[in-house]
Amino acid sequence: MTDIETLPSVYEGSDGAELTALRRFLIRTGIGIMVFLGLYAMALLLTPYDPNTADFLSRLQSPGAAHWLGTDHLGRDVATRIIYGAGWSVGLALVISVCGAVIGVLIGLCAGAGPQWFDRLSMRTTDSFFAFPELIAAIAISGILGPSTGNMVLALVMVSWMRYARLTRSLTLVLNQKDFIVQARLNRLPFWLILWRHFLPNLRLGLLVLWTNMWSRTILSISGLSFLGFGVQPPQAEWGAMLVDGKAYMLTAPYLMIFPGLAVLITVLALNLIGDQLRDHIQKPVD
Amino acid sequence: MLAVNSLCVDVSSQRLLDDISFTLKPGECLCIVGESGSGKTTLLKTLLGLMPFSQGQISYQFAEEDCQLNPGHQYLGLPGVSWVMQNPLAALNPLQPVGRAVAESLYHKSLSKQKEAERVAAAFRKVELSPELARRLPSQLSIGQAQRVCIARALVCLPEVIIFDEPLSALDAVVQKQIAWVIDGIKTAHRLSYLFVTHDLGFADAYADKILLLRDGCVEAYQPVEEFFSAPTSDYGAELIEAARILGSLDAPAAMAPVLLEASA
Repeated sequence: MTDIETLPSVYEGSDGAELTALRRFLIRTGIGIMVFLGLYAMALLLTPYDPNTADFLSRLQSPGAAHWLGTDHLGRDVATRIIYGAGWSVGLALVISVCGAVIGVLIGLCAGAGPQWFDRLSMRTTDSFFAFPELIAAIAISGILGPSTGNMVLALVMVSWMRYARLTRSLTLVLNQKDFIVQARLNRLPFWLILWRHFLPNLRLGLLVLWTNMWSRTILSISGLSFLGFGVQPPQAEWGAMLVDGKAYMLTAPYLMIFPGLAVLITVLALNLIGDQLRDHIQKPVD
Repeated sequence: MLAVNSLCVDVSSQRLLDDISFTLKPGECLCIVGESGSGKTTLLKTLLGLMPFSQGQISYQFAEEDCQLNPGHQYLGLPGVSWVMQNPLAALNPLQPVGRAVAESLYHKSLSKQKEAERVAAAFRKVELSPELARRLPSQLSIGQAQRVCIARALVCLPEVIIFDEPLSALDAVVQKQIAWVIDGIKTAHRLSYLFVTHDLGFADAYADKILLLRDGCVEAYQPVEEFFSAPTSDYGAELIEAARILGSLDAPAAMAPVLLEASA
């Protein structure tokens, strides 16, 4: 009876193994991202060209030793512009998806765990935001506010928070029934502390999957908006903007569109694959 | 300690509990028995203040103050009452170290970090758990240890009444015995009053002072435990006792086990 606490824990069961597999996956992904960021920083430092300075003597050169991926119609090095463009596309998408996540999660948590009237109000608002197709709403917003990078960020945040709100609310409603939440209420913990300690940690994996998915979608949206002229403005190197620039030379210098297109494709694909893997890992319930 | 007077609970014009009355004296253990859907959990939730009731009176007499619950109101966190739930793994946040979970019951006492840690360690010792387990997550404990943590959480704020919602039914037989022993030991050591929902008539026979038998939201029987087993006032009660004897969870009456009696005499 008394030495029950000295028995080995049951942590080595299936439950524990599942958690460590997930942890291993996250560590491996993290290392991969770090290596990638290191390579990116090295490329930024090592490239001899400026992304925005025109060099008319070497315009429209094919890929070669001096310009690995060729030059565009103003003689700018395509490889350098793709590297700098990653900052705009991937970095801005990161900022936008994080902003959208914070807003959406806050609304979803309050809707799921808070008073009924807030739930109804926020979910009807979410529905009405969902009623517009994302890209079209973003075009309308940045069209009204005027095309600029800041307005594009605002527009994309405004159309991206609803998914987080929906997911968070539905996960929160499930948690709401759990005994440990009832106990926290009985202990009269402040509302925000219950959200922070009991709801948020138990939502994080589901949100992480959605977030990787939304990040890659946002990269596509940024490129799309920039392609249409609503997003990042020339002469800034952005993948979508580079595609527009190259469009006029599609037949004579196709690499102007191929390489930025490939950059978008590979980045979005990589992020989606990470998200899929993550989902596969957590779908085996860790209860 | 606790007096409940003709308590009625209605949810959307359906009467879930009808005219429930009982009293709980200090140091007493009242077992609430009944089939699924008979309103046991509703009764517990009402007594905890989680669920508003429509008629009647619930009054607690604690050592320091009295506490009267009024119809139509919700009361969160009645001082002096704590709750132990059925499934310990659902009752603990899977991502929170169990020591923190126990400490949360002390949130409103605003103790210093050190004082709080001492109280938590003391509660762990009361349920015969090593305080070193406080850093573990619920998934790193056995289910018996997790249930002890839940009892420690109920004890840490020094309650006078503990409400148990079938605390043994998620456990296997050996662990059940150990936990029942712990629960009973704490009661005598700290002069607590227990409200105990259970399906296990054997437990009720061994530890309870009084039995409240519920059926369809009404009191079917309310008797001292010896009387309940020797002279049940309701047919339903007699039927339950018979069923428990056949299943072997309850010892046969004394007359049928003379050898046992002789040995103990």
